[in-house]
Amino acid sequence: MATDSDVLAALMSRRPGFSLPQPFYTDAGFYDCDLRNIWYKDWLLTIAAPEVPKTGSFVTLQIGNAPVLIVRGADGAIRAFHNSCRHRGSRICAAERGRNAKLTCPYHQWTYDLDGSLVYAREMHEDIDPADFGLKPIHCETAAGIVFICLAKDAPDFAPVKAMAEKYASPHDITNLKVAATRSIVENGNWKLVMENNRECYHCAGSHPLLCRTFPDDPNLIGSFEGTSVTVGEDHVRRCEAAGMPSRFYMEPNGQWRFVRIPFIGDACSYTEDGTPAVTKRVGQVPFDNAGSLLFFHYPNTWNHMLSDSVTLFRMTPISPTATQVYTTWLVHADAEEGVDYDVDRLTRVWIQTNLEDQAVVEENQRGILSPAYEPGPYSSLQETGVIQFIDWYAATLQQRLTGRSNTMAAE
Amino acid sequence: MPLPNENTPPWTDDEHIECVMIIPEAPDVRTFIFRAPSGRWFRYRPGQFLTLELPVSTATIWRTFTISTSPSQSLSISVTVKKNPESVGVAWMFDHLRPGVRLKASGPAGLFTLPPRPDGKYLFISAGSGVTPMMSMTAFLFDRGEQPDITFINCARTPRDIIFRSRLEHIASRLPDLKLHFVVEHTNPYEVWSGYRGRLNQIMLGLMAPDYLDRTVYCCGPEPFMEGVRESLIALGFDMGNYHQESFAAPVETAEEVPELADVIVDDTPAEVVFTKSDATVTCRESDTILAVARSSGHNIPSGCTFGLCGTCKIRKRSGEVHMVHNGGITEDEEAEGFILACCSHPIGRVEIEV
Repeated sequence: MATDSDVLAALMSRRPGFSLPQPFYTDAGFYDCDLRNIWYKDWLLTIAAPEVPKTGSFVTLQIGNAPVLIVRGADGAIRAFHNSCRHRGSRICAAERGRNAKLTCPYHQWTYDLDGSLVYAREMHEDIDPADFGLKPIHCETAAGIVFICLAKDAPDFAPVKAMAEKYASPHDITNLKVAATRSIVENGNWKLVMENNRECYHCAGSHPLLCRTFPDDPNLIGSFEGTSVTVGEDHVRRCEAAGMPSRFYMEPNGQWRFVRIPFIGDACSYTEDGTPAVTKRVGQVPFDNAGSLLFFHYPNTWNHMLSDSVTLFRMTPISPTATQVYTTWLVHADAEEGVDYDVDRLTRVWIQTNLEDQAVVEENQRGILSPAYEPGPYSSLQETGVIQFIDWYAATLQQRLTGRSNTMAAE
Repeated sequence: MPLPNENTPPWTDDEHIECVMIIPEAPDVRTFIFRAPSGRWFRYRPGQFLTLELPVSTATIWRTFTISTSPSQSLSISVTVKKNPESVGVAWMFDHLRPGVRLKASGPAGLFTLPPRPDGKYLFISAGSGVTPMMSMTAFLFDRGEQPDITFINCARTPRDIIFRSRLEHIASRLPDLKLHFVVEHTNPYEVWSGYRGRLNQIMLGLMAPDYLDRTVYCCGPEPFMEGVRESLIALGFDMGNYHQESFAAPVETAEEVPELADVIVDDTPAEVVFTKSDATVTCRESDTILAVARSSGHNIPSGCTFGLCGTCKIRKRSGEVHMVHNGGITEDEEAEGFILACCSHPIGRVEIEV
C-alpha cells in the first residue's frame, strides 16, 4: 500500500491543470491519506438543524472509518459525538435517524445523557469513574441552521465560515425550515471525482437535459471566479443585493468555500420541469420568487442550493477509494403542507434525476480511470476552472499537511 | 426576601428555589431547607415529593425526594436525604449545596399522601430515610390543632441513625394519641437502648399496634422492608385496601442513586396485561411491573437498568393505563405516542401492550 511519502511524491510531480495521477482515484494508501489529512481534519457539512428538531432527535453518519452521532440535547444545543461506546466500542446508535430520551448502547446498555455523559453502567459503577467514560465529543458548530463537524483534535477556525454563512444564507432562514425529503445514493467513484464532476457544467448539456431547463451552464456564471462579467449575472446580483440579500461572489482566500447567488434561466424560479416554484410558501425573507440560487460549496464534502421556495443541501462522505455516498436533503417552509403547498415528487424530481445522471458519469469516469491506459488529461481552461480550483486546493492542502509547509515548496 | 401577603401567589416550579439552611440530622443525613427568592409560599400535600435538577459535573440529573416539612409551615420547604457510598445526586448536594445556591425544582407531585379529610386512625411504618413523608404527615396532623391518632413505627440500623428522633419525641410529648416506637438492628456500645431490637416482625407489630386492623397503614422504606411489612399484614388478615406505600424506585444494588421516592401506591388489586402479539392475557397485581409480568409469563422484552433510565425496555401500549415512574429513559413525545418503559410501569386494571 502506498505511504504518505508516495502521496507526497505524486503531489509534487503532478501536472497542474491536468487531472490527477491514477492512484489518487484508486489506491487504498492514497485514500487513507485523504481520510487522515482531509476528512479527519476539515470542517464537514452534516445536516440541517431542522433534521434534529427536538430534544433527543439524532442523526448518524459515517465519515471514513468514523461513525458519528449528532444529537439535540435537553438544552436545545446540537452536539456531535463519536458513535462508539466507551465500554467495548460498539456503535451506540445504528439507525440513520431517530429520537431517544437517552443514548443507550444496545450491547450492554451503558447509558449516556444527551450531553454525552455516562449516567449508567450496570454493575460497574464501583469499578469506574463515569466522568472518565463519557462519549467522545466532536467539534460541532451550527452556521445559519447548518450543522458542521470537525473530527480533528484542534479544529481550524470556523468563525469565518459561520460569519459568512449567516450573512449569505440568513434570508433563507434554514433554522426554521422543515425537512421535506432526503435521498441517499452511493456513487461507485472516488470522492474527488464526485466533487470534480460537481465543479463544472461542461458535462451538463450532454447529461442533464432536465436540469438544464432552469440551471444556466454558463461557466462564467457558475465557475469559481466572479461571474459578474456576464451581464445577466451582474444584474441579478445587483437586484438581489438591493432587495437585502447578500449575493455577490465571495470566495475564502484559500479557496475552500464560496458563496454566490446566480440567476436561473429566463423567468425560472426553481428546479422544476417548467421552472415555476415547487412550493407555494417562500422560505425565510426571500423577497421574490425569481431570486435564483445561492450557491455554497465547502470542500471537501458539500455543495448547496438555496432558492426562494426551498433549500437543497448535498453532502458526500467517502466509503472506499472507489465509492462515495451522496446525501441530499430538501427543506421547505415549516408551515408548508405536503399535498397542499407542495408535492414531494415535483420538489425532488430534478435533483433526483440529476443525481442519478451524475452517478452514471462519475461511475464511467471511475471505470475509465481504473484502466491501465489512463493518464492525466488537461482540464478546460474555459469550462473547468472550478475543477482546476478544487484540485489546486486539494493538492495544496494535502501537501501542506503532509509536510507542515505551504505549497511554495513546490516551486523551489 | 419579602414576606408573603394576602395577595402572594404560591410558588410554582418556573422559579428556582434557594437553599437557605442545612441541618445535620444523623450520620450522613442532612436536611436542606429552601425558600422561593420571590417570597412565595409553598403549597403541597404532606407526603408529596419534589424533583430537583442537580448540575452534577457536566450533566444535569433529576432526583426526586420526599418533602420533609409540612405544608402547614409554608414559608420554606425541605428535603432530608441520606448519602450512601454510591450516591451521585446526594453526594453532589452534600458537596456543593450551600446557603445561597439556587436550583431548578419541579413539583411538588406524588400520590402518597393523606386523604382530603385526614380524620382517621393511622399506622405509619417506615425504615431509614423512609421516615421523611411520615414526618411531614405527622407534623401536618399536629399543626391542625386536633389530636390525631397515630401509631408511629420507625426502623433504623442503630439509635444514632434514627432521623427526626427528638422532633418526634417533642411532638409525642404534646399528643396523647401519638405512640412512638423505634426498632433498631444494632445498639451502640455503652449507650442505653430500651426500645425494640432486631427486625420488625409480626409479633412486634402486634405489640406496638394491637388495634392495627382499625388503622390505615402508610409504609415507606426499601422494597425488601416493605415486602416484609406487606407479608406480615397479609398474614395477620389486614385489609390491604387500607394499605399505602411509597417506594424507592431505584434498586439499591445498582449504585445509581439512593432513596429516590416514587409516587407508586401499590396494592394487591388484581390487574391484567394483554400481550397482543401472542394474544395472551396474564393476570397479575397492580404492584407488579409490566416487565416482571412479561418475564414470568414467557414474553420477551429486552431490558437493561430496570429502573427507567436506559430506555431499552421501551414498548408500545395499545390500551389501558399504567402508573409509570421513570428516571428519564423516555421522552414526553414517546409517552404521548403511547410508549412506556416496561420496567417501571405498573398496570392499572387491564392493559394491552404490543409484545
